[in-house]
Amino acid sequence: MSTRVGQKQASRMVRDQIAREKRRSRTLWTSVAAVAVLVIAGLIGWGVVASQDSGSYIAPAGAVENGTGIKVGTGPVQIDIYEDFICPACGQFEKQTGATIDQLVSEGKASVVYHPLAFLDRASSTQYSTRASAASGAAAEGGKFREYAKALFAQQPAEGSAGLSDDQLIEIGRSVGLGDAFAQAVRDGKYKPWTAHVTDEASGDGVTGTPTVRVGGKDVQPTTQAILAAVG
Amino acid sequence: MNVTVASPPVSPTSVSRWHIARPWLGTLVRLGLAAVWIVAGGAKVGDLAGSGRAVNAYDVMPYDLAKVIGAALPFVELALGVLLLVGLATRLAAGVSAALLVVFVTGITQAWARGLQIDCGCFGSGGQLGAGQSPSYGPEILRDLGFLALAGFLLIWPLTRLPIDSWLEKK
Repeated sequence: MSTRVGQKQASRMVRDQIAREKRRSRTLWTSVAAVAVLVIAGLIGWGVVASQDSGSYIAPAGAVENGTGIKVGTGPVQIDIYEDFICPACGQFEKQTGATIDQLVSEGKASVVYHPLAFLDRASSTQYSTRASAASGAAAEGGKFREYAKALFAQQPAEGSAGLSDDQLIEIGRSVGLGDAFAQAVRDGKYKPWTAHVTDEASGDGVTGTPTVRVGGKDVQPTTQAILAAVG
Repeated sequence: MNVTVASPPVSPTSVSRWHIARPWLGTLVRLGLAAVWIVAGGAKVGDLAGSGRAVNAYDVMPYDLAKVIGAALPFVELALGVLLLVGLATRLAAGVSAALLVVFVTGITQAWARGLQIDCGCFGSGGQLGAGQSPSYGPEILRDLGFLALAGFLLIWPLTRLPIDSWLEKK
């Protein structure tokens, strides 16, 4: 009798032991599977971005050597202006300070590198930031970057809207004297890879918002006063 | 883990009620946290470059690293959401969730402490705030601490109703 009880107990202990080990290995394997899922998910994201990066771009005429912006003027002091065509604060900046900057350029005091980047593609349903920036590249190719940028800001669409259509972008181009080559470049999205390059390089240079203004490489408040003071 | 109420319970009804309610409450917590991750990941996955810029705006790592983190993060968030949704390796998923949330809270806190003017980018957008916008670090941190509480609940009580974990258990 006592041996039978002992046997029963022993076999239960063995069963418990087996069950515990089974549970442990199951937990181990589900954990391994879950970690694998998380790691693979992360790698997918990395892979997608790495494959997007490889795109080569054509910089339009008038671009600076590394292709990160369009240079206007030849003055000794360099002003860098990072702007997004749908950003309301950039529209404000253009309205309030644009003329002053044009004057600095025409007086030969400063040269300006415009970086038309696309941070705010999410602010329109049609990636207006990228399309407008690419169109401004096409305008630079036609020698009318500044005129075109001003016209775009004058007709700036609201955030959250669909933005201007490609046809409207082309129409604005015609209004500042751009022709068929410009229209074709806009339709083909010829300078979209360039926009991606401009955007990426700006981020790499520590630009996290628009408008960002730098005079001689140093951040300056985007106001007429601050810029005039920095240019000296 | 066997939970037995051997010693004379102080208040039997409330204890057993808790025992009945807890797994169901846990299911709500699990699904809630799953929804948080899926919404957060889903909002970012369409603009990976933007997600990288949002990470870069915290100004704690080189841009090239921020790009990689920003690209990987939405997918990891989605995967975490799916694990929690189906209830696979719930405790592990809760642990990773808690770790991520601690990182987020730390990131926002350091941005606040350094006086950066950024949007946390928690549910898409992110990056520098425009002129006239002020950051809302306090509410962002409180929200993340709320999510952290959900993750903590699942870390302590990972067994909930209707998960794959217990289905595997029966096999």
